[in-house]
Amino acid sequence: MMKTPEATLDADVLVIGSGAGGAATAATLAAAGRDVTVVEEGPWIDPDALEPFSLAEMAAKYRHRGLAAALGNPAIAFAEGRCVGGSTEINSGLYHRLPGALAESWRDEYAIDEFGSDTLDSYAERIENELAVSRLPGAPPPSSALLERGATKLGWQAVEYARVFRYDTAGRGVKQTMTRTLLPRAVEAGATVIPNCRVRRLVRHGGRVIGVRCERTEDGEAEDLTIRAEHVFVCAGAIQTPALLHRSGIRGGIGSGLKVHPMIKIAARFPHPVDHGGVPMQVITEFGPNLSIGGSASRRGQVAMALADSSADYREAMDNWENVSVYYAAIRSEGRGRVVALPGLRAPIVTYRLTEGDMSRLARGLVHLGEVLLASGATELYPSVADGPVVRGHDELAAWWDAVTRNRTNLMTVHLTSSVRMGEDRSRTGADSFGRVWGFDNLRVSDASLVPDAPGVNPQGTIMAIAARNSDHFLADA
Amino acid sequence: MLWLEREVVATLVSPTLDDHQRAEIETYVDDSLRSMPEHLRAGMAAESILFGAWPRVQGALGHYDRGSMNARLERWKASRFDPVRQYVRLLQSLVLFAEHELTPAAS
Repeated sequence: MMKTPEATLDADVLVIGSGAGGAATAATLAAAGRDVTVVEEGPWIDPDALEPFSLAEMAAKYRHRGLAAALGNPAIAFAEGRCVGGSTEINSGLYHRLPGALAESWRDEYAIDEFGSDTLDSYAERIENELAVSRLPGAPPPSSALLERGATKLGWQAVEYARVFRYDTAGRGVKQTMTRTLLPRAVEAGATVIPNCRVRRLVRHGGRVIGVRCERTEDGEAEDLTIRAEHVFVCAGAIQTPALLHRSGIRGGIGSGLKVHPMIKIAARFPHPVDHGGVPMQVITEFGPNLSIGGSASRRGQVAMALADSSADYREAMDNWENVSVYYAAIRSEGRGRVVALPGLRAPIVTYRLTEGDMSRLARGLVHLGEVLLASGATELYPSVADGPVVRGHDELAAWWDAVTRNRTNLMTVHLTSSVRMGEDRSRTGADSFGRVWGFDNLRVSDASLVPDAPGVNPQGTIMAIAARNSDHFLADA
Repeated sequence: MLWLEREVVATLVSPTLDDHQRAEIETYVDDSLRSMPEHLRAGMAAESILFGAWPRVQGALGHYDRGSMNARLERWKASRFDPVRQYVRLLQSLVLFAEHELTPAAS
């Protein structure tokens, strides 16, 4: 790649990252008349161009093609978006408000100003209107209805989650990703979005950030770019935000306290075909908020991987892969992790330590997931546990209690939060109640990093509500 | 890809696929490994060199048989050591995903 001479741009407000936090920030500030520039490391890809959860999508939109993991025993694989719109382009679109009781307990624990459930709900309502958050207009697809049927048989509570989907009169849904919604609105209000632009580090002067140094790639050519800015919002997600702050020499309260929702999975075989186009919207909330049960992407490739995770002979099940669907149990973890950027490495090192309580919750989650799938009519269950026995009846489920061990369990997560917690308790946070990084006048974080703990529900709604709230506070303060 | 990785992938790919399909899968795995975070890729490369040492010695002595890789992979999959098990799991996941996404009709 050839290098061209360094270019320089000026911005009033620079937003780094274009996912749920960055897009909500950019749209709010641009609508208020601020001069906003958004930089995004990944490309701008037409949201209709690639099939959801396909190999092509993983190659184009996922950071590291989805091959990242938090080191630990066990390691936890995780996925992040790396494209304009961030993880909103690749997630299932399930939406949930932050439970009020959690918001209030975090407000008290971390001394967060103006963080009551009323405040957050008013922002959530705004976001829900902007994104057309809604429920499926017709009957749920079979993969989703099966969960509901199993829960009903067991007397467990299950709900249909709303999604950030807009439905036409024929009931066809289109996911309202950031490239379809808030980013075009920000651009319409005057914002500029620069894709393929990786911020290497922030340029500091005393207690201010005066700009950023980036590498912009276009047609295979890389150029150095400096962007001078009056205000900087880092919205790169719970892994990349602390990594960028570390690369810029900012470490106090940054990167520790990472939280995830570890997920353990089952590939369930039914006596009839199941749909494979989307992700089930039914979620079993009977054991919430510490344990939730739902469905995963189940294209043919994902079914094969999930079946193989059990180490059992799965060839016959794979021959009937249309009858197999993948489901998960996710926990709110007591453990925590760390994000550390080391000089010379592009990717940060991520570690996560699960507690014994977490391992026990995962075993319980696997058994409950097995119960509901058998109740829904599944005939064979392949757990994501090496040498975990394939289960065909309720009396066999007890074997899984002992099978879920640190060396045998295959875990993954798509929800990462809490690596730059917010609040007024400086000993436990990296930013104040509105995301301003301690020690800096004009540097703010506004993404999943701020969420003080794992929410136990899909975090996109929480992230967007917090970002909109922080943007309003910035506008009122400026 | 390193030598052992190539051998493992060649063993894991379904024997029913033709050379073109096998090459496509190998390219996908190679691209994916290149995309990994550097520290994870370095750890995996170290494992590849370590685990590949004995098969390479066997190869130098003319005793290496690709057919024996299957039995070796079965042992590694059942290993008590998580990094050994995860090594095979990662390559197997990549191969399976590519095989079923790139060549659904053939697999």
